[in-house]
Amino acid sequence: MVKAEEKVLSVEEPREISSGWEPNILAFACHYCAFAAADLAGVMRLSYPPTVKVIRLPCTGKLDYIHILHAFERGVDGAFVAG
Amino acid sequence: MNEKISSIKKGSVLVVGGGIGGMQAALDLADSEFKVHMVQKDPSIGGTMVMLDKTFPTGDCSMCMISPKMVEVGRHLNIDIHLLAEVVSVEGEPGDFKVKIKIAPRYVAPDKCTGCGDCETKCPKKVSSEFEQGLSVRKAIYSLFPQAVPNTRVIDKDNCLYFKKGRCRLCEKACKAGAINYKDKGKEIELHVGAIILCPGLDRYDAKVRGEFGLGRWKNVVTAIQFERILSASGPYKGEIKRPIDGRHPKRVAWIQCVGSRDSHNANPWCSSVCCMYATKQAIIAREHDSEIEPTIFFMEMRSFGKDFDKYVERAKTEYGVRYKRAMISAVREEPGTGDLLLRYAAEDGKLIDEIFDLVVLSVGLEPHKDSVEFAKTFGIETNSYRFAKTFPLKPVQTTRKGIYVTGTYHGPKDIPETVMQGSAVAGEVMALLGEARGTETVAKEFPPEKDLTGEEPRIGVLVCHCGTNIASTVEVEKVVETVKDLPGVVYATNTLYACSQDSQEMLKKIVREMNLNRVVVASCTPRTHEPLFQETIRDAGLNKYLFDLADIREQCSWCHMGHKEEATKKAIKIVKMAIAKARLLEPLKTDTVEVTPAAMVIGGGIAGMTTALSLADQGFHVSIVEREKELGGLLRNLYRTLEGNDVQEFLKARIEQVLSHERIRVYSDAEVKKTGGFVGNFETTLTNGNVIKHGVIVLATGGVEYQPTEYFYNESDRVITQRELEEKLVSGENPRSGEQYVMIQCVGSREEPNQYCSRICCLDAIKNAVTLKEKNPKAQIFILYRDIRTYGLREDYYRKARDIGVFFVRYEVDKKPVVEKIGDKLGIKTRDYMLNKELILNADWLVLSTGLRPHPKTETVGEMYKVTRNPDGYFLEAHVKLRPVDFPGEGIFVAGLAHAPKNLDETISQALAAAGRAGVVLSKENLAVSGIVAKHRKDLCMSCLSCFRVCPFDSPYIDEEGKVAHNEIKCHGCGICAGICPAKAFQVNSFRDDQILAMIDAAVECEPVIK
Repeated sequence: MVKAEEKVLSVEEPREISSGWEPNILAFACHYCAFAAADLAGVMRLSYPPTVKVIRLPCTGKLDYIHILHAFERGVDGAFVAG
Repeated sequence: MNEKISSIKKGSVLVVGGGIGGMQAALDLADSEFKVHMVQKDPSIGGTMVMLDKTFPTGDCSMCMISPKMVEVGRHLNIDIHLLAEVVSVEGEPGDFKVKIKIAPRYVAPDKCTGCGDCETKCPKKVSSEFEQGLSVRKAIYSLFPQAVPNTRVIDKDNCLYFKKGRCRLCEKACKAGAINYKDKGKEIELHVGAIILCPGLDRYDAKVRGEFGLGRWKNVVTAIQFERILSASGPYKGEIKRPIDGRHPKRVAWIQCVGSRDSHNANPWCSSVCCMYATKQAIIAREHDSEIEPTIFFMEMRSFGKDFDKYVERAKTEYGVRYKRAMISAVREEPGTGDLLLRYAAEDGKLIDEIFDLVVLSVGLEPHKDSVEFAKTFGIETNSYRFAKTFPLKPVQTTRKGIYVTGTYHGPKDIPETVMQGSAVAGEVMALLGEARGTETVAKEFPPEKDLTGEEPRIGVLVCHCGTNIASTVEVEKVVETVKDLPGVVYATNTLYACSQDSQEMLKKIVREMNLNRVVVASCTPRTHEPLFQETIRDAGLNKYLFDLADIREQCSWCHMGHKEEATKKAIKIVKMAIAKARLLEPLKTDTVEVTPAAMVIGGGIAGMTTALSLADQGFHVSIVEREKELGGLLRNLYRTLEGNDVQEFLKARIEQVLSHERIRVYSDAEVKKTGGFVGNFETTLTNGNVIKHGVIVLATGGVEYQPTEYFYNESDRVITQRELEEKLVSGENPRSGEQYVMIQCVGSREEPNQYCSRICCLDAIKNAVTLKEKNPKAQIFILYRDIRTYGLREDYYRKARDIGVFFVRYEVDKKPVVEKIGDKLGIKTRDYMLNKELILNADWLVLSTGLRPHPKTETVGEMYKVTRNPDGYFLEAHVKLRPVDFPGEGIFVAGLAHAPKNLDETISQALAAAGRAGVVLSKENLAVSGIVAKHRKDLCMSCLSCFRVCPFDSPYIDEEGKVAHNEIKCHGCGICAGICPAKAFQVNSFRDDQILAMIDAAVECEPVIK
């Protein structure tokens, strides 16, 4: 039997980050505020890394743990919830 | 019904002004089957509110609130917007006015312009931006602000190089839609309307007149509206707080209050009502932006009289360290070479103090438009001596000409919720005036039958937009089309110059039919503005409108990643793939409708309830008033005169008479609500007397009560009375003797924990009674001991009058309240006079307590019955403090009067009319449409754990006959909080289902290299 702590440690082992690597980030945004803010950022020509993509929700209250876990499972590097 | 009248009256309304008040009136009217013509002199709608960064006292973003409203107005089938337009003449009478309107040339064809902005980029001429208050520049072809509705550009002829020098025409070359038309001559149109609503908005005081403050001379002196733009994330400094002179972050920032207000010399004598609060808000927001900032507000009197305003000011002091200094600034001088500003003021002890600040904000007041007198002449209405529209305290939104109404700051200085409230109030008045003409001029869109998709595999069509060069210059549009055209489910993909143009809509319909598409994805701009347009187009082609998804590759891609063509193209491809992944799983959604019982129930028979009832009954609906007491009238029975001198009892008597004799109003007195069930459009209520009422809406007008003081020997001495008791004495003919001394103490039971709010009426009550006493006997001595005199708006006149006729005003601090002792027949009152800086001992014959208001004790049980929340003070909490001041989050329930917050009679009447306007919108519909985007509940998965029950803001889950959770989709707004919390996943939101979101996540990550 492997102790629970050891299991956790092996998952958390840090990896090398290659230069030029950009994290793949998914943003979950409320239609009424954060999604509107993302629009405004465009209108004002503010720039941010193109690896950020937005998923629109009717309200951030709609967000489910499963969405975030699924995203990490599929390899996103960060989830940004805004609303 | 009088057939003759119904045949004469027009079913359309003219709204003059496109600010928030006009927009509210227009939406309420158009939503209840009236045709609306909105006339706006600017190139787009929005008014003053769009210039504000945040709003008090909630700190909500102003643009985020108003922007959806602007889109709604802009897209409404029954609202025609006439821009750059002015009314030149009005003839006719209520029910049938003939109006001539002059429309100035725009030089850009609105039907061709897509708002892409390519012309603006190419225009070489820079002009100081009016919208940014001169802090940045715009082009000679421009739209007023980034979120403008419509965002059709306009050419500023006075600055355009082509118009001035005959050369340039770069915008014409840049415009691929061919929308530029230098030969535009403008036009004049004529309209026939049933009623007219005036909401031309405001001007701000020109602070340059007050040379001592240095505006325009010292660069670091800015006006409050300039500071709003400085704070705004979309403003000239992108929300960074900087000094105009050197771009340095200021540390010491001062606000100077009452610039141009409460001053008869070269300024306006009235109080502008909003400056104390906006300065407090600006100080708080500034601190939030930059914690180094030390804000100081120099004020004369803190007029935070509105709902939850005092609490906001307290928070500014305690949590944000805002320093409030009671002082008048005599001059602002610049320290040579530094740009710093020296302010000189007298401290409370009279000593002169010089203090240095990095930035000074002038809290400039509000005033009517410069052309307001001319404007009034055009419409044939009278103005008051201050150039505001003349109205009457008991008819607050009617002008002197019948059929013409006023809302917003043309009525007097006021804040956003009061403007919105008046917007709904005028809508209510117009509905009552034109009730029978409802629906005579509106149009409804006809659609072909919907295609049945049963058994069909997804056949997705993808349209990728260039948006002129807006998308195409950063994203390789052809590459996007090429990459997605062979994805599973996609049967057709193409690109287009402007997806939103009229010819593209026709093309889209053709493709849907020819390619037998059953789902459509458009990759262009934001769904927030453009989704409804494309949904309508595919509906026109026979598809259910929910078989559509919009991929935002402009605002959220090309505009943010300029100069990174490769990455931007990659991202655009991904965004489109995500939309396609979702589109595969889209299903046609049914939008149900429910029938509406065209009747209202009003709880509370005070003036608010009666006013709402009368307006709704005049609109043609049946109304039941439920009053727990035997008589109608509520608190108003104790009031005899308004500040302005109107006879309240006579007015009340007439109102009660009208209510009792109205054929469509039934009064249930001595009764209370025992039980209410149902939902918007279909309520059923059982009263304690056994009556059962069916109704479509509920208005809560449960009123308030007067605070019964325990302080200052009230109940112990008959020489200690309340303002109300004094008023009664004065009305019954009692006259003060010469030399008789009356001492009034303000804020008794208000503005102190646990009642940390202003009761709003007491300052005016005190001044009203003081003036009456003085008028009855000028030799009576009157002292008003106050904390801040809050004669807001045009009521300031009465404060000035009271001082002029010799009423003494002595300020006290809350920690040094007046001390009262009984001395024989008299009362000794000790208080500190801060002007003299001495203890003052008064020997009063009468001590008059200005007692505040409390919510009615019944508010609690009524609140529980209808599941409406209350604020910490026990007043009902409206759906939105700024934009939905008479609504509750639950549909079909409205609030009016003191149950909402303390207010004066004219404000109560306005709010009651507003409730009638809002309720009229619901009742005018035969059927209510339920949105397709709602949460779907699966009973077979549900464990009835009640999680949804606790979190739903709209009260839509309920317990059914079997004792299990069921879901009322009519109440549902589709927020999906239930779906997020439900452990059994028994809730799924249409078009935002978990499988759809997970599919989007999968599409977003599929090509990313996974680090092993």
